[in-house]
Amino acid sequence: MRAFKNLREFLQLLDAEKQLLRISDEVNLEPDLAAAGRAITQLSETSPALHFDRIKGYDKAQVVLNVHGSWTNLALMLGVEKNASLREQFFEFVRRYEQFPGTIEHHDGAPWQDVVVDKDVNLFELMPVFRFNRGDGGFFIDKACIVSRDPDDWNNEDLETVGIYRLQVKGKNRLGIQPVPVHDIAIHLDHAEQLGQDLSIAIAVGNEPIIPVAASMSVSYGQSKYKMAAVLQGKPYPVVRTGKGLNVPWGSEYVLEGRILARQREPEGPFGEFPGQYSGGHRYPVIEIDRVSHCKDPIYEALYLGVPWTEMDYLCAVNTCAPLYVQLKKEFPEVVAVNAIFTLGFIVIVSTQRRYGGFAKAVGLRVMTTPHGLGYAKIVIVVDETVDPFDMKQVMWAVSTKVNPAGDVTILPNLCIDLLDPASEPAGISHRMIIDATTPVWPDRRGNFGQALDSPQQTDEWRKKLGAMLKELRT
Amino acid sequence: MSPAEDGKHGLACPRCRSGTIEVLTNSPVPGVWTIYSCTTCLYAWRSTEPEENTDPDKYPAAFRLKPEDLAKFPLVPTIPPLQRS
Repeated sequence: MRAFKNLREFLQLLDAEKQLLRISDEVNLEPDLAAAGRAITQLSETSPALHFDRIKGYDKAQVVLNVHGSWTNLALMLGVEKNASLREQFFEFVRRYEQFPGTIEHHDGAPWQDVVVDKDVNLFELMPVFRFNRGDGGFFIDKACIVSRDPDDWNNEDLETVGIYRLQVKGKNRLGIQPVPVHDIAIHLDHAEQLGQDLSIAIAVGNEPIIPVAASMSVSYGQSKYKMAAVLQGKPYPVVRTGKGLNVPWGSEYVLEGRILARQREPEGPFGEFPGQYSGGHRYPVIEIDRVSHCKDPIYEALYLGVPWTEMDYLCAVNTCAPLYVQLKKEFPEVVAVNAIFTLGFIVIVSTQRRYGGFAKAVGLRVMTTPHGLGYAKIVIVVDETVDPFDMKQVMWAVSTKVNPAGDVTILPNLCIDLLDPASEPAGISHRMIIDATTPVWPDRRGNFGQALDSPQQTDEWRKKLGAMLKELRT
Repeated sequence: MSPAEDGKHGLACPRCRSGTIEVLTNSPVPGVWTIYSCTTCLYAWRSTEPEENTDPDKYPAAFRLKPEDLAKFPLVPTIPPLQRS
């Protein structure tokens, strides 16, 4: 387990582990940065982060992309073995998640306070923001941790939330924000707008790697993301309080302080979103930035988002699986593992033991009523406890041989779904499906599964022996 | 420099074709790029981007819109009633 004090410290580790590629060529903001961010995840599942320090139009700007963009980088972030499998990372993540809550460590000052701009703020001068996809309505900040509190209970640290919401840079100090109703910040904004008040927020850009993971997790309202980050990194989470009383990560590169303007909406988007489709345009709330603070020679961090797989799919993988698993396991201890890494969990694969016939379908239904499942889990595949849900070869074997569509496919009409699901009709309403790919057990007698095949005797011993020989052969 | 003086950029927004274009900002290193913004549809673009993003005639059809379409954008989240004090 390892905690990183800031992005720079993590980049040093990535560099030492050959997981950081430094681009010394001069690059254009468009289309070079987005194209490189897109291409790097097309190359491999062990891709490095990218660092650029010669950006046309800027004297000293630095941009990093793909910091979370591979299983290798995520393993290094967690401080586990560099080649740890997704399954191993999942169980380690769950172990830490179950220790919630951790503690918040307050500091009086931070390096991001070194340079302060509180007059004539021009975000385009301060940050090398750029367009990601050609149909985007403008330039977006897409990997910022946005901090807000409940104006009805401002001093309650547990109601402070940290989330990643896309921000469209529309003016020198004017941003659009996407707080969809399922986000906690939408609750805070609703309370402020009922009072007719602006909502003070802080936007932290360029962070040590664990807070973006906590920020993009589905947790219950009232569960502090900083306390979550603390258990995930195994150390109290360091923050500094802003003048408005918001906690901001100690290690951020940039901190933008501003207000979501009460009761105002303005055209925003489109933006190329995680389902691999543009979001369309909306009238979304607007932020005015009053003050920007940043480290000396700050590093701007962004994430390419587009048709999966992108950095976002890695960032929102294990942190989507773990809460679902823990919530399911509470009521169904038979559940063995949950894979919700695809498109934020629009499809979820659960492996479970079966208490009796029909049990797998009940587990599938429960997935859909978990907090995250309400907006995702459009398709749930349930497999036997012997099938590894993270191994698609095993999952597809189960689906192809255990499923008889006559009785194993259940379709539930017109449930809720994330508005961004492009197949929903109207947007936000979709049928859902459970595929029961488990072996029927009593009293479900369907099918001919009496003579199950297993491996020859001594296969385990031979696997160990051959594995060791292969390793030697290749070193 | 105004968009008209620039030469490369016409007087129309690539997305909604309104003539309401303003210079939003210039590159910190002078003379490298300019960012323009349409005050009608809020589309913004940088002078150094591929033509698909800067030239109204090459802007992809799927993303074009008319100024009157903006009022049809869904309003999210809904604005709650003001609490009576």
